[in-house]
Amino acid sequence: MRSKLRLLILFWLLSGVALAQYGPGVYTPGEFQTTNPYYLLPNPFYFEGRIDWNLLGITTPTNAWEYMERAIHYQDDLGDTQSAIADYETGLTFNSLQNGSCQIVTPATLVNGALPTTLNPAPCIFTLRLRLGYLEQQPNPAQAIQLFQEVTKIDPLKLGINSLIGETYVIEAQQTTDPVAQQQAYANAIQAYQAELALSPVTSQSIALTGDLANNAHVHWALAQIYQTLGQVSSAISELQLYLQATQWHSDVYPWRIPLANALIKTLQATLH
Amino acid sequence: MMAIRSCVAVALVAAGCAIELGCGTSQTAVTNVTNPVQFQAQPFQRPEACLPCHQRQFDELRQAVKAGYRNVSPLFNGLEAAGNLINGGLLRPVYSDSTIVLPDGTLLNTNMFSSPILTEPRQVQAGFCVTCHNADIEMNGENPHTREVPALSGLGTMFNPTIFRPLRDYAMLDSSGNQLIPPQIGEYPPAGAQPSLGAAGITCDFCHDQNGPNLNRSFQHDGFGNTSLYLNPSKEKVGPFLFPVGVKNNFHVASNDTNKIAFLRAGAFCNTCHDVRLPNLNLTSHEVNINTGGSKVNVFRLENLSTEWQIGPYNSTNNPFGKVVRCQDCHMSMFPYAESSSYQVGDMSVTSPTPAVFPTDYAAVPGVSTDQNYPLQKRPVVTHFFTGVDVPLLSATELQARLGSTYPDPYANSIDTHGLPVAIAVRRQDLLQAATRVSLAKSDTSVVAGQSFTVRVEAVSLTGHRFPAGFSQERTAYIQLNVTDANGFVLYQSGYVVDKPHPNTGESAPDGNLDDEDIEHVHAVVDPGHFASGAYTPGTTTNGGNNVVFELGPDDGPEQRVFEGRPEGLVLFRNELTHIFLPCPTTPTNPPCTTDLVGRTDAQGNPIHAQTAHFEETFNAALANSVDNFRSLQPLQPRTFDYQIQLPTQSELQALGVTLKGPLQVHVQVNFEHFPPLFLRYLAQTTGPGGPTGIGLGLVTEQSIDSLLKNIQDISESDTTVNLLP
Repeated sequence: MRSKLRLLILFWLLSGVALAQYGPGVYTPGEFQTTNPYYLLPNPFYFEGRIDWNLLGITTPTNAWEYMERAIHYQDDLGDTQSAIADYETGLTFNSLQNGSCQIVTPATLVNGALPTTLNPAPCIFTLRLRLGYLEQQPNPAQAIQLFQEVTKIDPLKLGINSLIGETYVIEAQQTTDPVAQQQAYANAIQAYQAELALSPVTSQSIALTGDLANNAHVHWALAQIYQTLGQVSSAISELQLYLQATQWHSDVYPWRIPLANALIKTLQATLH
Repeated sequence: MMAIRSCVAVALVAAGCAIELGCGTSQTAVTNVTNPVQFQAQPFQRPEACLPCHQRQFDELRQAVKAGYRNVSPLFNGLEAAGNLINGGLLRPVYSDSTIVLPDGTLLNTNMFSSPILTEPRQVQAGFCVTCHNADIEMNGENPHTREVPALSGLGTMFNPTIFRPLRDYAMLDSSGNQLIPPQIGEYPPAGAQPSLGAAGITCDFCHDQNGPNLNRSFQHDGFGNTSLYLNPSKEKVGPFLFPVGVKNNFHVASNDTNKIAFLRAGAFCNTCHDVRLPNLNLTSHEVNINTGGSKVNVFRLENLSTEWQIGPYNSTNNPFGKVVRCQDCHMSMFPYAESSSYQVGDMSVTSPTPAVFPTDYAAVPGVSTDQNYPLQKRPVVTHFFTGVDVPLLSATELQARLGSTYPDPYANSIDTHGLPVAIAVRRQDLLQAATRVSLAKSDTSVVAGQSFTVRVEAVSLTGHRFPAGFSQERTAYIQLNVTDANGFVLYQSGYVVDKPHPNTGESAPDGNLDDEDIEHVHAVVDPGHFASGAYTPGTTTNGGNNVVFELGPDDGPEQRVFEGRPEGLVLFRNELTHIFLPCPTTPTNPPCTTDLVGRTDAQGNPIHAQTAHFEETFNAALANSVDNFRSLQPLQPRTFDYQIQLPTQSELQALGVTLKGPLQVHVQVNFEHFPPLFLRYLAQTTGPGGPTGIGLGLVTEQSIDSLLKNIQDISESDTTVNLLP
């Protein structure tokens, strides 16, 4: 029995020696990940939105992207809108079309037909503008519109931006007491919403592939509301009908809008007769 | 003598327990192997060769995705085929007898696994999918006589899509053990077909033949990703503990190399495959291969699971369990069927299954497995289910036709000797139900009729990596939120699906099935390409891959939440593959520049060109040149997602003829899809007869999507009420 115990102890000692080989001071796989100079870098166009702030390990932001990420942290994680706005604004000073600290990537950016390895100045960041613009929609719609319009320059094909512009013009129209300015704001909103629709047009091909006779339900709903406000009944009915077509196979986050659209169409049609 | 043997056996069991309980740290130090001990070579064995002595492990492993059906899966085969159809077959392996010459005049005769250092993007591409799924098959392929997956006869512009076969066409044997290739491309397995070695995927031998990490083949010289390990098919099998009892007839010998054993037991072993990095060919670099000579190889991250675990709380003691929780502790244990633990994560109280609880059993079958029938002791053992988030998109009948008549039904309801559910479908559901928790506790408690209020969904991932993980740009977890009044009138919905037709794949009317429907944040149809007579041209012009329809849907949350910070719409935890389209030079180029073609037309039918750099979600990994891997939930980091919800006004309610009754009922749940239907429909089309092959590969159809795609609803949920004030 004692010899068995000795053997057991000997084995434990040996296994302890074996396991001790993996102690501190030896290269550990994955160690690199914690200080990986690539992993958490922005993509070359700063096109991603949020990177989790706790992973970045940034003490003090030093450039537009870092200020934006801290602002996102303030806004999304802490609900601190004021700090977020301050950081978005600071970020913009590092990434401004006006002061030339950012550039829009166009054919002129290419060198011998290819993208240069380094883009200097850095590409203009759309997330920075969109997030600040959204927070400024109510208090400062004009500034919000300007920011959104810069995004349409950075990436004219990006969906949803013209809708945001349209939505902000509606806010501007609702806030103003000047009838002329109000009419102009609504006209601008209609133009913006139509620009949004043009980016994802309903074509014979799209109908054949999806069965959808219309898309962008929320754009049509918004346009219908504007036309109702402006007293343009036929246009309002038309947009409500497009809304119903767009929701036929997709419903809506507010599904009660679908029976409401049907009811409104009937009411509006009655006013035409 | 017997006494000594008994003592050693006891010691072995004790040592095994000790290692099992965490003496072997996950932070296993490894370096490239130097002067390895040479054991007698032994060809890669079929798993059936291990079965007589390791029946339990065989049965468990057969249910696993990686070792069961994956290599005959229509999805894996479709993905691999779709990538090849776009780039001219570059993803198929090449071998040492290849005569393909690279643009710089050198031979391309090594693949992703056999290249000592990956110095050319084409080496990364060669066998890109097969390497992680079947590296042993690539090793065997170096010998033309044991080659299962042939090299293609032409690549790039010489690629011939009409003779291209899906990988699974090569994964069958006839009754004599010779490769059986079905007469027609993609044909159902001929009668009597048996599964090949490659059909089994990551088998017993793959893991137990490992010889440590191959740092030179990992892009950051860290042993992460793209199968950066050594395989040494020999009689030495690396098991989880030292000095096991001798194997009957010396079929194999158990390794006593403590480095190899520790590696097998560590997260580092899983890391060699569960980071996947793709060559980044047409954009400025993200990450560069830092190994000597690797500077031409730029990559970006597809699967990032291992890194997520490595930098996460479970690879530390700073988690609710106070110890490192390895991959093996959840995917090779009794998890999620062990007892539960309760703990606090931020302000969320959580009860969830406990990791690292292992069943007690024999490591091998007593009486048949040991030298001189030496008796075995029961000990804590790992399971080999490797439960994940997939189920096969194959019927039980086809599974058996491809993998043998005894292949288990994924949905069969049975339990094993440890009382654990066996069926992969049951196990994936239970695993997913352990993955997240949600709470509505921070939501507004009252709302005035006609005004808006905020529902706040706090969500936390309890997984060892982010959730979802793996192919996280397709794995789809999302929040479904419903707000109704007390009469059930629906005031708001997000994360909903609608039964609809799918004309692009021949479904002309709603079919009553919701599992084949996409969530409503974006409407996309991916161009499947088409067969072009004449010479094949790589790229999207005829081979598809771009979004031919791309529209925002009514539940557009991801774009709004990420880029605008707007508290509305779908909360989607799926990461995103993105394609950055670059503008073309103003002066014509030869060949003509097409990087600016987004794949759609304007209302007049003119192709839309990107005039600036344009960023768009893509569903084909072969076309992605960037990725957003931060949409998934971090482990143990609760996040709150606001929904600002507007109630209908009084006049709107009047028009509707509705009177709201309080309190409002709020229900939230997390749902999971292993693949989005739109992606499956793309695969169905691009690998179908209308795609670039012109003949079809027999993989995915609308019918198979309808009958076999099963999503998991309600993996976690919460409810609350909101008072309706006049």
